[in-house]
Amino acid sequence: MVTSAHRIGLDAVSRAAYEANRLAAVVLPGEATNAFRDALERESKPMAQYVLGQILENADLAVAENRPMCGDTGLPRFYVKVGNEAAIEGGFVGFERECRRAVADITQDLQMRANRVHPLTRQNPGNNVGVFAPSIDYSFEPDADWVELTAVHKGGLFGSDYRMLFPADGIDGIKRFLLDTLSSSARRGLSCPPVVVGVGLGGTKDQAVRFSKEAACLRVIGDSHPDPDVAKLEDELMELANRTGFGVMGVGGDTTALDVNVEIAYTHTGGIPVAVSQFCLAYRRATARIHADGAIEYREDPRWFTPYYRREGIE
Amino acid sequence: MTAPLSDGAIASLHAGDIVYLSGPIFTARDGVYRHMLVEGNEPPLDLAALTNVTIQSSPAGAEVSPGEYRISSLQATAGFRYARYMPALLERFGVKMVIGKAGMSEEVYRDVFMPNGAVCLSTMGYGLGAIYGKSVKRVIDVHWPEELGISEALWLIEMDRFGPLLVEGDIHGDSYFSRANEEINDGLAELYEGLSSPVFRRLGEEERPEIELF
Repeated sequence: MVTSAHRIGLDAVSRAAYEANRLAAVVLPGEATNAFRDALERESKPMAQYVLGQILENADLAVAENRPMCGDTGLPRFYVKVGNEAAIEGGFVGFERECRRAVADITQDLQMRANRVHPLTRQNPGNNVGVFAPSIDYSFEPDADWVELTAVHKGGLFGSDYRMLFPADGIDGIKRFLLDTLSSSARRGLSCPPVVVGVGLGGTKDQAVRFSKEAACLRVIGDSHPDPDVAKLEDELMELANRTGFGVMGVGGDTTALDVNVEIAYTHTGGIPVAVSQFCLAYRRATARIHADGAIEYREDPRWFTPYYRREGIE
Repeated sequence: MTAPLSDGAIASLHAGDIVYLSGPIFTARDGVYRHMLVEGNEPPLDLAALTNVTIQSSPAGAEVSPGEYRISSLQATAGFRYARYMPALLERFGVKMVIGKAGMSEEVYRDVFMPNGAVCLSTMGYGLGAIYGKSVKRVIDVHWPEELGISEALWLIEMDRFGPLLVEGDIHGDSYFSRANEEINDGLAELYEGLSSPVFRRLGEEERPEIELF
């Protein structure tokens, strides 16, 4: 067992939260750049080829000029993985205060769009901080004394949906739901393909929605679920999504999805809850690991779905 | 092209063209449409005298020092949902070019845009925010930030080679997205064939995927 005499300082949390948000807003992860390059190489439609080329140019310009890669800078949020032996100076109340402050600061410094408003009055605090904003979700990891935070700036309002199926609906029901969801969002700019599709399968309704979001945002493009049955479904859904032909911007093209990730949770014997989330082509996330001694490492792979996180038995 | 646009310049655009635009434009979406067109608040300046181009956008921007605004990144939002505001916007404010995202229905072009000699363009990508943001030469002014919040305010901005922009609905009523959707629809039904029907059909869950705008 790892034990630590150190407490992670809030100054390190502050720096990590700020920089992870800057990286998320500005830098397209390498896996996404590669996926766009591959899509451009495969593409047969001239308009889609042109747009994919522009997307790659935009990604370069964003980094060169430290500009947000998209004008809709999304809703900043945090996924936090806490080592079981980690301790934070000021505790998690202090940690969350630094996360909220980092969002306010980066919103001003990068001139990010102030997206968060009161849902009824539409009052805008101007800094993307408000009631339950930014959202902060937690998971845990054994034998570790670090804390990791992943900043995610997922854009858009539409393209995410939920449906309760019966077991007899099976794979066909899941495919039908995916087609319905893609069709209702890809045509007129409600989603921004090529997307990374997350499918949450099973659990309860709220778990299905949550895991669909995590599958869209926190897996690595091109990876597979360790369960071979789930991995096979991922491949089938990926093929189906791209056979729709919506393509980039929905103007027609060969790549509608850069990847389809499925996460499962054990569910009620009577049903299959299924949810779909789509991460837009501004694929914005970045991870920072804060070590017990205050050192910070930044990386692109969130490493969110660890074997422990997906554990099946009691241990 | 340079704003304000002449009738001749508007007429020269055809669905599927890609253009770059310079000159002044103003932002308007949910907040401005409601405040200006529904509640009838007069804009604090003569918009029509300045430009006839608007963008359905809330910029990524901030007040960097008192009274000084900067935009870092820019992108339009899905425009079909604003169709109801188009008659007032075009007729009362002389707008000839609406830059949105992914266009509106052919019906709106025929009934509202064509009689007013106006066209609809789409930002591209969607997510060329850095490229578009760089083309903002300066923020001339921001109106109604207190009333509408910084993101929904009316931003008056001067552009320098703002593009690429896709001509979506032209003055002849031709729509690029409608054409693209017809092609996509040809293949879509086939994907549903062979999938077993749902065990339980519920209100609101059955859609006809060939319908483009509901």
